[in-house]
Amino acid sequence: MKLLFELNGVPQYLDVEPGERLLRLLRRLGMKSVKEGCGTGDCGACTVLVDGRAVRSCLMVAPQVQGRRVLTLEGLGSVDDPHPLQQAFLDAGAVQCGFCTPGMILVAYELLQGNDDPSPEDVRKAIAGNLCRCTGYVKIADAVLLAARWKQEGKWR
Amino acid sequence: MSGVHARGVRRFHFARDVEEALSLLAAYEGRGALLAGGVDLLRSLRVDIEGLIDITRIGLSYTKEARGGLAIGGTTTLTSILESRAAREYGGGILADLLHRVAVPPLRNMATLGGALVSAHPWADIPTALVALGAEVRWQGEKEGRVPVEELYQGPFRGLFRQAVAIEVLLPPWDGAFAYEKVGRTGYDIALLNACCGVGVEGGRIAWARVAVGARPDRGERLPWAEEALIGQRPSQTLWQEVQDLVAKRIEVGDDRRASGAWRREVAGVLVERALARASGRAGM
Repeated sequence: MKLLFELNGVPQYLDVEPGERLLRLLRRLGMKSVKEGCGTGDCGACTVLVDGRAVRSCLMVAPQVQGRRVLTLEGLGSVDDPHPLQQAFLDAGAVQCGFCTPGMILVAYELLQGNDDPSPEDVRKAIAGNLCRCTGYVKIADAVLLAARWKQEGKWR
Repeated sequence: MSGVHARGVRRFHFARDVEEALSLLAAYEGRGALLAGGVDLLRSLRVDIEGLIDITRIGLSYTKEARGGLAIGGTTTLTSILESRAAREYGGGILADLLHRVAVPPLRNMATLGGALVSAHPWADIPTALVALGAEVRWQGEKEGRVPVEELYQGPFRGLFRQAVAIEVLLPPWDGAFAYEKVGRTGYDIALLNACCGVGVEGGRIAWARVAVGARPDRGERLPWAEEALIGQRPSQTLWQEVQDLVAKRIEVGDDRRASGAWRREVAGVLVERALARASGRAGM
């Protein structure tokens, strides 16, 4: 079936199988930041934003994003021009193996869209559904709080 | 849904209204499924499902005041309920209390209230609370009607949603407040046991009380004898502790792989005591 949606600001019009998972479609389109961890919605590695909301792309089929805006980490920043949230993860040492990082950054992005001044508790609740097996979460929470401070200081674009 | 595809799916439809959703569903003769948030459906999609019928774009996503209580559309996401002004005040803030304890933000962005009722996992948080709140669900299938959530999983209504859409959930007004309590292995895991209690006071005495306990491991049910023990009494910490002891003595619980019946019996009393204490605090007693 034909699918029309916006991926990282660029309209996409393409053929998909009605049962193709959104996760699979996004990776097929080159969005390799979208990881398959558990495939059952538990780990958060496949998190993307649909119309600004974090969702599990492994628990969606592609047709569900008909007419929607999808944001993956690739749409947030790049190696040459990282988003302040990405820079904060680097500066805080919040990245080890990196598998959970795209999902972590995207749920943090959703949190900071609606809350410029999150408490450490707000941050822990926001990332509660994203599993990291390396860091122990402390530096990830530090990174999100650092990015929030930069946002308050007007350092976000 | 493991692998890269929902294997058997051949067609995907956006229903334009409830009638179209139902006629598409009927045409698939058991090999079609209604899709809202998809959290449960797509997690373990039956391999014989050929058609998915999306019902999220037919105007069933809303939270509004109705007859002094609330009406919440079947495809309303849990996040959207949490963000609605109408839901914030209802029942002393019970919906925020409850929904913040259900799963994690990205799953709350997807999961719908109707979906929670249709899936009806026995350990689920939402059915226990809706039973305590006296919620009804309005449904439409070949016929249409309303049924209390309390009766939804019994006798004639069992399996209702195989051929019907959960149109909206109706929450009655309560002059008092509710509180929700849950114990899981982690902050966001499914419940090992959950409880929802509500109380209202008139002239210094408890005028009404609602006590429901779920994940026993069976689905949430009211404990009428606990409610009777509260009505007419003066609210006090001593009373909540008496009810705690009563619940621990009389509640029907069982073992499963998650917890023993003996543990559940002990903890059920504690959760009811905590919920009553918090609800009465919110009701300004």
